Amino acid sequence: MSTAERLPSGLPSGGDALEFLDLGGDVVARSPLQLFWRRFRQDRVALVSLGFIVLLIVVAIAAPLVVSLLGLPGPYVQNINLTDSFGSPLGPSLAHPFGVDQLGEDVMSRVIYGTRVSLEVAIIGTGISTIIGVTVGMLAGFYRGWVDTVLSRFMDIVLSIPILLLGIGLAAACSVHGCVKGLVQPGLVTIIFIICISTWPYVGRIVRGLVLSMREREFVEASRALGASDARIMFREILPNLTAPIIVYASLLIPTNILFEAALSFLGVGIRPPTASWGNMIAQAAPIFNTAWWFMVFPGVALLLTVLAFNLLGDGLQDALNPRQAR
Amino acid sequence: MRSIRTLAAVVFAAGLALLLAACGSSSTSTTGTTASASSALSTGGYKSPLTEPLTGGKRGGSLQVLQEIDFEHLDPGIAYFSVDYAVVFATQRPLYSQKPNSTEPTPDMAEGQPEISNGGKTVTVHIKEGVHFSPPVNREVTSEDVAYAIERGKNPDVANPYIDSYFKSVEGESTATGGPIKGIETPNKHEIVFHLTEAKGQIVADALVLPLSAAVPKSYAEKFDKNKPSNYAEYQVATGPYMLKNDAEGKVLGTGYIPGKSATLVRNPNWNPKTDYRPAYLNEIDIKIGGTSAVLGREVLEGTNTVQNESSVAQPNVRLAAEKFKSQLEISPGGGSHYIGVNNKVGPFKNVDLRKALWAALNRTSLDKLRGGELVTNVATHFIYPTINGFEQAGALKGPSGPQFDFNEHPEGDMAVAEKYMKLGGYPTGKYTGHEVSTIVASTGDPFEQQAEVVQQTLKSLGFPVKLTLVETSTMYAKYCNVPKEEVTICPSVGWIADFADPQTVLDITFNGTTIGSTGNVNWGQTDVPKINAAMAAAENVIGKEARAKAWASIDNEIVEDAAAIPFDWDKQPNIEGSDVNGVGDIWNVGEWDYSYTSLK
Repeated sequence: MSTAERLPSGLPSGGDALEFLDLGGDVVARSPLQLFWRRFRQDRVALVSLGFIVLLIVVAIAAPLVVSLLGLPGPYVQNINLTDSFGSPLGPSLAHPFGVDQLGEDVMSRVIYGTRVSLEVAIIGTGISTIIGVTVGMLAGFYRGWVDTVLSRFMDIVLSIPILLLGIGLAAACSVHGCVKGLVQPGLVTIIFIICISTWPYVGRIVRGLVLSMREREFVEASRALGASDARIMFREILPNLTAPIIVYASLLIPTNILFEAALSFLGVGIRPPTASWGNMIAQAAPIFNTAWWFMVFPGVALLLTVLAFNLLGDGLQDALNPRQAR
Repeated sequence: MRSIRTLAAVVFAAGLALLLAACGSSSTSTTGTTASASSALSTGGYKSPLTEPLTGGKRGGSLQVLQEIDFEHLDPGIAYFSVDYAVVFATQRPLYSQKPNSTEPTPDMAEGQPEISNGGKTVTVHIKEGVHFSPPVNREVTSEDVAYAIERGKNPDVANPYIDSYFKSVEGESTATGGPIKGIETPNKHEIVFHLTEAKGQIVADALVLPLSAAVPKSYAEKFDKNKPSNYAEYQVATGPYMLKNDAEGKVLGTGYIPGKSATLVRNPNWNPKTDYRPAYLNEIDIKIGGTSAVLGREVLEGTNTVQNESSVAQPNVRLAAEKFKSQLEISPGGGSHYIGVNNKVGPFKNVDLRKALWAALNRTSLDKLRGGELVTNVATHFIYPTINGFEQAGALKGPSGPQFDFNEHPEGDMAVAEKYMKLGGYPTGKYTGHEVSTIVASTGDPFEQQAEVVQQTLKSLGFPVKLTLVETSTMYAKYCNVPKEEVTICPSVGWIADFADPQTVLDITFNGTTIGSTGNVNWGQTDVPKINAAMAAAENVIGKEARAKAWASIDNEIVEDAAAIPFDWDKQPNIEGSDVNGVGDIWNVGEWDYSYTSLK
């Protein structure tokens, strides 16, 4: 056990303090990143989750290569000969480890390509909504007064929009020729747009609350006394101190967004066939589950594992970034 | 035009006459059909309406019916969906109706066959004596009741969906609004005469098989028909062997029919079996509405006195029945057809050679497998489908023959022929090199989504840029495929079922250029070929079954040669029943159970 771990609990720790290590008489300071990693790597579950997510990202980026290396047909290769006389798809085999769907398309290949959609939605959607939420939340919390009132009410209004109905409505109204002169079309971009609309206020509210308390702290007062501009205070003084909660919240938002995309696709208003998405695969599999369980199970398991991995990673990040709130 | 909601993509048209000549009072009878027709009607050894005995059933008992969807309309003047017809034809007696195993009109309320005279401009029907309305009306049916039934079809608050398609030639029909129609005359209580402005007596006579001709008592119904919309259905009286259960005032709603929940058919105490050809074995039919088709199907297969009444039984249940409950599965031929609507007017497929190329490249066997395979489909090779008069003459199963039909020869697709037509169409590489994006609008749900994907892949293989959109079936029709200005290139989820077995009902409204409308258009490809239009105009006036078959089969061949649309499936309807049910489906109403012939073991 290191010296640092024997430090009295009253000593400062976390992102705004340093810890010290006794290395044969020399005391070495650790950066917050080092401290974070040191704590994080002790959480084996979070580490495995991180590994799984990295693997997913690699698979998503290199999907054509992975499919080719595995000797699988492409995700859009139809082969009706792989269905029986009733038109039911054939189950798992060496050639098709996850079986095929009604069109004779390889389910494993489609699950691999489906990873792309899920991660694109998750990462891009979460990224954009986090940026919007942080910006709006900081403005509301920092300026307070009428700015806070307007932005907070706006967040309330956005949160009250029935997002699922909005998605269904957009899909129905804009499906063929698009809306707003073709700008809004059903598909990945619209899904990401809907996800951003629905999730940024959650980030915004959290950030607003944090900024409201942080703006009264001494280091902000000091910056203000030194003549720092509002923008500098917000983005150079306050924002770095919000990094940990933002990362934790974003990591927990990702699985929510993956599930949201799957739900929209399941309802037929998200990613549309033939593009492979776990949600639309599960939807297509539902009517034939009794005769082709594999078509639902494999994308379902992929969805479950991915969401679980992001959730566990989020927990691990929370523990590592904010040890005082550790479970 | 009527649609089967659960099949969703099939739309019904209009017509008459018949192929099967199965007019015997019992059992089977494919008498008169040729080997190829019989082959088209084959159900692979499973029970079929063509092989089910129509006599000798056990009397009594109560049948439970499970159906996922509710009725659309139970008023005989409005009803147009197959599930509605199952009840309407058990409770009402039109002038003519059809036995389960036949598409031949059998006199029902009529005393005999219609008399067509005056060069096809007059149709006379004699009406049976001794037929009475159910309580609370109770009195005998007269020709005036039949006349009123048809006249009220023009009442905007009734708005019969097909009266203008078949009765337009009746003098005064086009200007009628629910009152007397000049061309409908009732010289006495048991005779009704239709005076026509054109020689369309055959189609008018044949349309009398539709429920619009089921008698409605004017003095009783008039007050309900004054409501907007008419609520006669809620107080309707019956002439058939069964009636919707009602109270002392005749109110059906809440008693015999609870929307979204149930319908109860009981025996009509005023029904006289001596005036009817139907056996009506059952005492009561209890219809439970709601649930999920797949779940209901399993319940039926593992149950006893229950049948499932759906236009589309869930595919896994069909397979389950075929493998484990073989005696509880009935397959009905004559379930209509499905085809791919291809825009002939705008977009790349206004070029006939490109339409032929797509036809040649398309794997129609794949499309049929997605519907359940050979058990429930035949690969379509033309438009007049089995059980419709003219099917044989149009080429039967194989389709029209000759070198000009080479694109139709390989149902599994033939890329070599497709490339040939691409080259003829102006694309020397055999691939499309233009930039027009082909828009596909298809129905959501199984199997329409998958079928649309097959079409999409086929188009891509020919080099066409494609945009596939999936929408709800009703949206697909109402907003896109039925609206020419939307300029949808491909509608792969459409189909057609005749109102009766005359080929005009299959081809006229769907391929006649004069029928194209700005909304509600079912000539999906906007086919408008003067030669075909003229041939149809002439064929509409042809009298006689054989002559009509020949005339319309020739038109069918011309439509195929024009590749105006791409037929891929002639449906066979699967029905499932409990272990102690002798269910009898039909071949004229998409295979729906006929409650007047079904019995318990």
